[in-house]
Amino acid sequence: MTEYNSVTDEVVKKLVAICGDEFVTTSLPLRHSYMAKGIMGLEAELPEVIVRPASAEEVSKILIVANENLSPVTPAAGGLSGGFALPAIQPGGIYLDLTRMDKMDVDVENRVMVVEPGVRSGDAWRIFKTKYPDWAPPIPDGAPPAATVLGDAIERGFSLVTGVYGPQADMIMGLEVVLPTGEIFHTGSWALPGAKPFYRWGVGPNPDGLFLGSQGSMGIITKCAIKMVPHPHFKTVVAYGGDTWDDIVKPAWEVSKYEMGISERTVMVQGGNYELVMTRWPKENVPVDYEFYKKIGIDRKWMNYEVWAWSQEELDQTLNGIDKVYKDFEVREKKVFPKQDLHPKQVASRLKKPNKIAVPYSLWEAGFLFITWYCPWLESAAMMEEYCAAMVNHGFPPTMWVASIDHARQAIVMPILCFDSTEPGIEDRIREFNLETTRSFLKKGWINYRPDPFVHAPETFSQAKEYYKMLVKFRKVLDPNLIMHPGRLAIPWESVTNLPNPLEE
Amino acid sequence: MNLEELRKINARCIHCRACQYAYSGEPDREGTDEEYTGMLQGCPAGLFYGWEGYFNSGKQWMARAFLNGELEASTELLEVTEACTTCGMCETQCPNYIDTVAVTEALRAAIIEAGVEPLAKHKGMGDRVEKEDMRNPYGEPRTDRTKWYKGEVDKPGTKIAYYVGCTAAYRQPHIADHTTSILDKLGIEYTVVSKEVCCGSPILRSGIRATAKKVMKENLEIFKDFDLLIFSCAGCYKTFRNDYPEHTGEPLPFKVIHTVDFINDLMKEGKVKIDKEYTEKVTWHDPCHLIRHCGLAMEKKILEKSDNWLLDSRKAEKVKLAYYEVPREVLANIPGLEHTEMYRNRGDSFCCGAGGGVKAQFPDLALFASKERLKEANATGSDVLMTSCPFCVTNFEDGIKALKKEEEETGKDLSGVGSKLKVVELLELLDELIE
Repeated sequence: MTEYNSVTDEVVKKLVAICGDEFVTTSLPLRHSYMAKGIMGLEAELPEVIVRPASAEEVSKILIVANENLSPVTPAAGGLSGGFALPAIQPGGIYLDLTRMDKMDVDVENRVMVVEPGVRSGDAWRIFKTKYPDWAPPIPDGAPPAATVLGDAIERGFSLVTGVYGPQADMIMGLEVVLPTGEIFHTGSWALPGAKPFYRWGVGPNPDGLFLGSQGSMGIITKCAIKMVPHPHFKTVVAYGGDTWDDIVKPAWEVSKYEMGISERTVMVQGGNYELVMTRWPKENVPVDYEFYKKIGIDRKWMNYEVWAWSQEELDQTLNGIDKVYKDFEVREKKVFPKQDLHPKQVASRLKKPNKIAVPYSLWEAGFLFITWYCPWLESAAMMEEYCAAMVNHGFPPTMWVASIDHARQAIVMPILCFDSTEPGIEDRIREFNLETTRSFLKKGWINYRPDPFVHAPETFSQAKEYYKMLVKFRKVLDPNLIMHPGRLAIPWESVTNLPNPLEE
Repeated sequence: MNLEELRKINARCIHCRACQYAYSGEPDREGTDEEYTGMLQGCPAGLFYGWEGYFNSGKQWMARAFLNGELEASTELLEVTEACTTCGMCETQCPNYIDTVAVTEALRAAIIEAGVEPLAKHKGMGDRVEKEDMRNPYGEPRTDRTKWYKGEVDKPGTKIAYYVGCTAAYRQPHIADHTTSILDKLGIEYTVVSKEVCCGSPILRSGIRATAKKVMKENLEIFKDFDLLIFSCAGCYKTFRNDYPEHTGEPLPFKVIHTVDFINDLMKEGKVKIDKEYTEKVTWHDPCHLIRHCGLAMEKKILEKSDNWLLDSRKAEKVKLAYYEVPREVLANIPGLEHTEMYRNRGDSFCCGAGGGVKAQFPDLALFASKERLKEANATGSDVLMTSCPFCVTNFEDGIKALKKEEEETGKDLSGVGSKLKVVELLELLDELIE
């Protein structure tokens, strides 16, 4: 078991010497101001000191101090739809608020942009809108303006073109990483001094994968080169309804398999159920009977197709193609999948990026949590069926969202757990629900996205033992003192679970 | 409401930080350039200090920690909490309809009620309002409150009162003069009331609630027999309109209206027409208390009564947006006036920096916000920055003074960021134009 030391006055002095007095604080109120329990995770411990470095060099020096003192380090800038990455275990250690590192360079010729951790979606979108209108920054879709481009990318998040390009991390062309021991290095072609980040696999072999999805536990990514997205301005959204999850999942697969055809312009395929609309409003101030939603034109389940094209002709051709797939499918299945009559305002609202779509679920009661899973697309209907049933059994409304990744090769399935965060014992109730569904889903071969340290990570690695052993080996090479974001990815194991340690088997 | 009563509202915060942006729901809003396009950061304190705790998003989590007993009342906590203009930009943005300003003000009050001394400047204001022979934050004699007024005070038989407010009474009497002059020209039967005391706004904002409630009670007693109170101060108006019912639990026994709104109504009825020209290029600054806070209150009042927010939220929003047009409608009735909007306007207007007790206690923050807004005003190409709030006027004038001083000291030309702007109070102009 790794023992960590608390941050001492001596450590704080060293941090001040690195970043300046103005950018280091131990203020208790300010430390509390970074807390968050909800949306992306309930686990959060209070950091002992907050530091706001300005450069990779400062980050490197901070990590050397942290190693000397054996202080845990948590890097964050706000890549999430809500909240921050936060320490998972005590002591909270050194918290790096990387928002001051907010430079962005755009290389239109090579169609790559380089962002530091503090570049926010709202700001990137504004700059692109005025300077590079034919391009879009690969921002997270459905996340508010303060979510960061780099944070979303290194978490392998969901972008505005994930339906075609895959998870955000697939668009990365190179990283600048500060290793836990303080060395700074670049991946991809960027590794060669003076070279542009034009080739991801670079001087190879490429270690990107060790850092992407590591939740900051393998090193701190201080720059990321990422593909820009072409931004044609003929856009629209069409939606088709259904009564069951299969009704929306199967036809979406039929559409999405037309790669290099209509599915290439269908940048986003996402759907949900009527509860997804209902739980955006206060429980006491909105109809809960489906009949109301039916009257206002909302199907029990539906799938949206967001199409981007370079001309009206191309747009129409794509929409007609989608419609034809549906018509053919209706004939084959002997069932009707109604096309929704979307109001222009609904279309405009769905095309808006970045947006606040993911945010209002706290209105239902007072708090919510996204628990996100990946599975093969056609298996997502079964997952949603099981998830919704479990949500109802555990007293939560069955609010569900699903989206295609990479032409419906995979599905991202996300229940939105709406609850009252002021209710005593609510965290235990959520944990019980989470454990039950996690154990069942892992058996089916489905995997969690951004695993939480106390349920998903130990449950997953209890089964993926060989992978865990390899992960710990790499981690020990990169971070011999295990100072980086301990607890995340269940490293060290004993800090988060009582399950048998795979390393000892 | 006290902080405990706001627990569940505060618990809605998921720390998404949409509240840090103006136009957080309008990424494609068209602007003139990269600086003023799309979503734009809009929290004066957050931009000035940089730490998360100075943004509303951080404050909500400090309030939660306080409520959960994880963070004790302290001067340190009060200092961070008070460094906020309570402009309400964050409240406009919140998709979870969190009453952000109410939470911040309640946290301030809870810290003070837990025994922490109010911050020096706020305490001074509170102490002076507390004194019966003053009842104003400036420490002026109560007997001098109506000294500015040449007419008959406490005119008998009138059902309309002009609530002057401490700033117009003691510091900017020209605003009071212009307001009474307008009312006289319009033939309104009104009176100025000698017993009037501070509305309580500055001390209510800074968390000194016991004194604020005392003056609220006194004002309600003093004005109870009137049908209508007319205001020239945005802060006093907002306090009477929104805070009095909130803190007393009772509806106001009289109607309240701001002079700009009052004149707009008369213009719509055809009772006021301006013929004189005002050939200036003008940009309008929405005072947070007069515009955003009142608009938000209108929206919330509709939703409070609704059993279907899904349908009624749009209706409520329309009412709010219609209210934001009031000053614009007035400006449109002034011949020759060329009005250009600043990029951040109406509900998304950037604060002048003076509100919430900030001007007195955190002058650097107030000056920063003023300069930021002056720059935005200047970007419209206007020569005049018009508004209707004594605090906004003062803070903008202080911002311009600071820019001019910097010009003198450095030899730089700062006209590109607003050093040559002229600040005009709309009521002053209306007095000049209404015949």
